[in-house]
Amino acid sequence: MKRCITLLVLIAVPFLTLHAQNESGASTDEAVGELKGQLDGLNESFLETKTTVDALKKIKVSGYIQTQFQAADTIGNSRFPVGNFSGGNFPTNVKHRFAVRRGRIKFTYDNTLTQYVLQLDATQNGVGIKDAYITVTEPWLKSVSMTGGIFDRPFGFEISYSSSMRESPERSRMFQTLFPGERELGAKLEINPQTENFAKHFNFKIGAFNGTGPTANENDRNKDIIGRFGYTFPFQEQNLAIDGGFSWYYGNVTSNSRAVYSIDKATKTFMTDSLVSDSLNSFQRQYLGMDMQIYYDIPVEWLGGLSLRGEFISGKQPGTAKSGSFYNPGTIQTVSGTSVKSSTEVTPLYQRAFRGFYITYIQNFGLKNQLVVKYDEMDPNTKVKGKDIGASTTSISGRQLTATDLKYSTIGLGWIYHWDSNVKFTAYYELISNEKVNSNTNIASLIPYKTDVKDNVFTFRAQYKF
Amino acid sequence: MKKYLAIITAAVAAITVIAFRPAQEIITVKGSDTMVILAQRWAEVYMNKNSNVTIQVTGGGSGTGVSALINGTTDICNSSRPMKQSEKDKLKQRFNTLGVEIKVARDGISLYVNQANPVKELSLQQIKDIYTGKITNWKDVGGNDAKIILYGRENNSGTYVYFKDFVLGGKDYAVTMQSMPGTASVVNAVAKDVNGIGYGGAAYGKGIRFLGVKKDASSTAYEPTLENIKAGHYAITRYLYMYTRSKPSGAVKSFIDWILSEEGQQIVAKVGYFPVR
Repeated sequence: MKRCITLLVLIAVPFLTLHAQNESGASTDEAVGELKGQLDGLNESFLETKTTVDALKKIKVSGYIQTQFQAADTIGNSRFPVGNFSGGNFPTNVKHRFAVRRGRIKFTYDNTLTQYVLQLDATQNGVGIKDAYITVTEPWLKSVSMTGGIFDRPFGFEISYSSSMRESPERSRMFQTLFPGERELGAKLEINPQTENFAKHFNFKIGAFNGTGPTANENDRNKDIIGRFGYTFPFQEQNLAIDGGFSWYYGNVTSNSRAVYSIDKATKTFMTDSLVSDSLNSFQRQYLGMDMQIYYDIPVEWLGGLSLRGEFISGKQPGTAKSGSFYNPGTIQTVSGTSVKSSTEVTPLYQRAFRGFYITYIQNFGLKNQLVVKYDEMDPNTKVKGKDIGASTTSISGRQLTATDLKYSTIGLGWIYHWDSNVKFTAYYELISNEKVNSNTNIASLIPYKTDVKDNVFTFRAQYKF
Repeated sequence: MKKYLAIITAAVAAITVIAFRPAQEIITVKGSDTMVILAQRWAEVYMNKNSNVTIQVTGGGSGTGVSALINGTTDICNSSRPMKQSEKDKLKQRFNTLGVEIKVARDGISLYVNQANPVKELSLQQIKDIYTGKITNWKDVGGNDAKIILYGRENNSGTYVYFKDFVLGGKDYAVTMQSMPGTASVVNAVAKDVNGIGYGGAAYGKGIRFLGVKKDASSTAYEPTLENIKAGHYAITRYLYMYTRSKPSGAVKSFIDWILSEEGQQIVAKVGYFPVR
């Protein structure tokens, strides 16, 4: 009996084992199939995620905040401005102040040959648009691009040199006067040859703009043409690079007043030209400029590189009695027939010839420190000197020269410490000097300018950039 | 009194020894993942010969290395592509220097396929069509009837940029390409995927098969060998660079001079790249 049972067991075991193996093999196949399915699912979801991530990678967010403490030579007052080119006029009775000078956030969608850029500025004064433009580059040579919207005017060097990189806290008086806000509404063509031949050393930009500033709407029939022809020559063996360019601004403003003033060379006063036809006429706003930047890497380990940057602009500026900045009366009022608006509704236009320049020396000390020395000068009315201002005894309103016609020079001395790749501290002192007016003048608004007014400004700034 | 004199003398001697001892020089090297192994080998051998020098090598991609150079957080940037003009401008703005480019090795960008893949060669145009998504099946280039699985690098890699600019003519990669964090990952992926294709440095080419590359449909296909690259036959070659902010000096100069020496260039060949001298 036992023998029979043993025999049955011996016969049954291989069959049972085989069955178990079959079951086990089937379940392994199922598991592999399931895993493969899961892997395919994961792969599909990875591809979907990748598409999303690739799209998100094109969105770039950058920005910086500049917070600062400033101390002026004297309290803000109504007799002369203090700090108006050092980040804004000190209000009456204010001698020291904390401020967020710039709070920028920039969104860029970079699709290689097309870009969307929106930059906002948020400070204690509110939120404003700095940049809002699109750029399209042709796909063949990738050398020609078109930009439209609000963006930097293609003039000179200092406009397009980012405030986050600039070594002095503010741009020179010349640029703040001629190009307030730096940006403008318009369209630009840019050629940057992407070649390996000699052409790669040159670039060219030209654009048409409203000519009314970064956020003001167009108010006349004129478009301003701005351009720059630039060059860049690296001399690698000599540790030297020379960059630069020539710029021009060819524009017009429309006067809404029949009162248009220009300098009379004989009397050194403004002469009025009150032809009815002057109202709604165009007056030239024309600048010519040249800039140069020299970089030299001193072959001393602890010292580092230096740069010398300079820019010169001269031209014709249509302004107002109280401002050397460009004439922009807002909406140009219509004139019916020969009748013109009353004097309170119009803004008399003052034509001045101006000249300005700046030169900046920057010396690196190792990786962390930089010394900055800057000299800038702006003469808003080159046809008169300080002694002419206040010399005239004319009592005719509008003909007298004013503080707007004074030449200013500024010496800036600064030290920059780069805490890390995001944070830098700047200590900067500006010695601001004005031309002295005629010492015999009794005009109340000019009396403070018989001497150099006390308007020097010290700035301590911390910047975080990402 | 004598006791105090002895203490002062000992203190002065100790300070003198500390102050005038050969300082431990630290050189940081950051950038191209393609160059990581090569840079590590250079660093190891150089540190063995110069005990007073410590060299820290990290990867992250050429773009990361260039950013570090601009930010001042590395002494040497390894890059498998030339610096862009915009990057040079940033360096100029921050440091008032032009940057110094040193060609340290030459690389053939290799195309890898799985060893089981019957395809032996591709023309530049076919490679472009595959990586831009125009050709999606191996049978269209003489292989099996199977979907082509693309492997490539992430966009902070110099290899990614070079391949896109040189091979794809600036066109976008197909969205189906799987971005891998390093060339070694590309090789691993292709080794496991019978329908995979990848690209990367020759140094990483173990375990898979290189494709021959033809300049055009009618020309001969060449593999990325030293002879072919030296003779200019292989179509996809590039230099590997080191960048410094200023003209190298001190310990950095000594290290780079050694890299360009016969000994340094022998390591280039041992790692699988091609010497420049």
